[in-house]
Amino acid sequence: MPQETILIVEDEAQIRKFLRISLEAHHYAVCEARLGEEGLALCAARPPDLIILDLGLPDLDGQQFIARLREWSPVPIIVLSVRADETDKVAALDAGANDYVTKPFGISELMARIRVVLRDARQPSASQRLFESQGLRVDLSQREVTIDDRPIHLTKKEYELLRLLIAAPGQVLTHQQILRTVWGPAQQEETHYLRVLVGQLRNKLGDDPAHPRFIITVQGVGYRLALPIALDDNVQGSDAN
Amino acid sequence: MPIVIDNSSPDHPFTRKPMAYAEAILIVLVSASLAFLLHRLMPHANLSLLFLTGVLIISARTGLGPSLVASVLSFLTFNFFFTPPFYTFDVADDGDVATLIFFLLMAAITGKLAARMHQEMLKRRLSLQRISNLYEFSRRMSSATDTEAVLDTLVDHFAHALDCPVAVYLPDSQGVATPRAGTALFAAPPAIDMTQAWVEGRSDPVTHGPWQLLPLIADREPVGLLAVHSEELEDEQLQLSRSLCDQAAIALHRTQLVADLEQARLVSETEQLRSALLSSVSHDLRTPLASIIGSTTSLLEYGDSFSSENRIELLKTVVEEAQRLDRHIQNLLDMTRLGQGTLSLRRDWVDLHDIVASAVERMRDPLEGWPLSIDIAADVPLLWVHGVLIEQALVNLLDNALRFSPADGRILLGAAYADGQVEIRLCDQGPGIPPGEREKIFDMFYTARQGDRGNRQGTGLGLAIVRGMIMAHGGSVTAGDGPDGHGTCMCIRLPVGQPEPGE
Repeated sequence: MPQETILIVEDEAQIRKFLRISLEAHHYAVCEARLGEEGLALCAARPPDLIILDLGLPDLDGQQFIARLREWSPVPIIVLSVRADETDKVAALDAGANDYVTKPFGISELMARIRVVLRDARQPSASQRLFESQGLRVDLSQREVTIDDRPIHLTKKEYELLRLLIAAPGQVLTHQQILRTVWGPAQQEETHYLRVLVGQLRNKLGDDPAHPRFIITVQGVGYRLALPIALDDNVQGSDAN
Repeated sequence: MPIVIDNSSPDHPFTRKPMAYAEAILIVLVSASLAFLLHRLMPHANLSLLFLTGVLIISARTGLGPSLVASVLSFLTFNFFFTPPFYTFDVADDGDVATLIFFLLMAAITGKLAARMHQEMLKRRLSLQRISNLYEFSRRMSSATDTEAVLDTLVDHFAHALDCPVAVYLPDSQGVATPRAGTALFAAPPAIDMTQAWVEGRSDPVTHGPWQLLPLIADREPVGLLAVHSEELEDEQLQLSRSLCDQAAIALHRTQLVADLEQARLVSETEQLRSALLSSVSHDLRTPLASIIGSTTSLLEYGDSFSSENRIELLKTVVEEAQRLDRHIQNLLDMTRLGQGTLSLRRDWVDLHDIVASAVERMRDPLEGWPLSIDIAADVPLLWVHGVLIEQALVNLLDNALRFSPADGRILLGAAYADGQVEIRLCDQGPGIPPGEREKIFDMFYTARQGDRGNRQGTGLGLAIVRGMIMAHGGSVTAGDGPDGHGTCMCIRLPVGQPEPGE
């Protein structure tokens, strides 16, 4: 497998330093940019496989960076943001970011996000016929769902929601993104439809909402499908906990 | 009750009421009729007593004028009908002349006396009325709690008493006269020089156009100005006005003192909060920093000689302490937002299960070692809330429960739905909270004020934030006994809000 390149766009030198050390230890090639414009130029010159983007840059607003990049490049973006406001994260995700990590974060959390996003970029889940994780098996060609080999019946909307989550496993989907796809653009403010549907789907999947196995709530932002255990295969000692 | 000042002077001897004179004539007619009936039975000299009685009645009832009229009429009638020669005004007997003169004299004297007594009574009644009005005024003044009430009472009273427009001026922060209350502010005099009015107005009211300016002075300190729309005030009105003004000034002075005291109390409370915040910041932010700096410098300097377990132990300390620092900062930020009132709710439909799951997930590391059971009733509906804030409230409650739980103490998180409210209960097996402290623990910095309690560090912000966030949602949070009387149950009640629309 060729070495994958990660571009870090972050104005804090300390954060760039520990990211570089950890990422290089995980055999990624790392390039750094301190400013947004610098980062965009680097992307154009040598397109990376993934961008880690700080939302609070001195020159460019994070949302602007994403919007400008998305005009010509689908390269995956993981956003770093401070906790202050979940609306920033939602805006970044809606603008085209693939996932986010809240500062301060543990390196294992970031590594897990990076692996999920890179794996999806390498072999898009959307093109797969079969999805399997923790006893859940979804045959996308036959529209068949089984839990521990026990077939379960889903309504059209429940299946749509599950399919959407499977298409980007481990990545967060905002409420609006789900509502737009499952119900259509006219209904993208009707979050209670979504809450009810998620409740029903969890119920059918035998998911305990207080300790969800499959559908994880990202408070104020959206939902993500739980990270399949198989993804952790290349975890290395230092960030195992 | 308003004071009515009678403009007709009370010592005027001749009343102008025509009814009194008619009464005088009538009583003479009655006396004459009685005299006709009785004149055969008694000596004619004694008949004069009849007329005298009539004159006395008149003078007692009215004033000097009618009683003089009555006595002259009585004299003439008596003379004409009852002294020989009858039916003339001539007098035959000298004794009769003397009787008549005495008669007239006595009528005049008693009439005068009675009239004076009558006027005295009127005066008394008037001054009694005035005293009781003044008493009523001072009662209202002393019970007035704020400046507005004092001014309203003053204006109301003055307007009725003098029956003319009045206005009250108080100095604003720059000392410029500002109209604050009045019956006719539209016609208020423009640009009043307060200082000048205060200096000149001490002896006599200052005339300013059609307005008379009276200073309001309390404790030799001018506090305001009263403008009366009147060409000139009579002595009595002026006297009354001054006493009203004095009382109003004292009341104004008092309400201003009360306001100043309240302000001072607020300032000192803010001061206390600020110093508590500072000590909280310095203590609660520095403690984890001390651990972090200590651990990392140890690793840097002597790391090579440490066993790998010890190195990991120290590194774990750094992570835990840094996370604690992060929680403190989050609390301070939340408190600032709550305190500034800039907390804007972004309500959305949220499943309570999701909130609980996120809160528990965020507290996963601290919760390790404490058995937590979660029991959310199936009928708990979706909540119309700002999910992140409710999650933060639950995190703070969990944090608080952990801080006071004994090792292996069970923690119960339950939720139920009843009467349009969702009740979330978090029970621990800690030492419990004495009933007297159950409200105080929600005050800012309450635990901080109690000083250090061993390892139970707390900023004293956590529960204040919980209450702030829950109250912003129209809910309530209270502390109560644990399930078996042991420990504590924190109880959040949230209104469910909009009914859930069908899918």
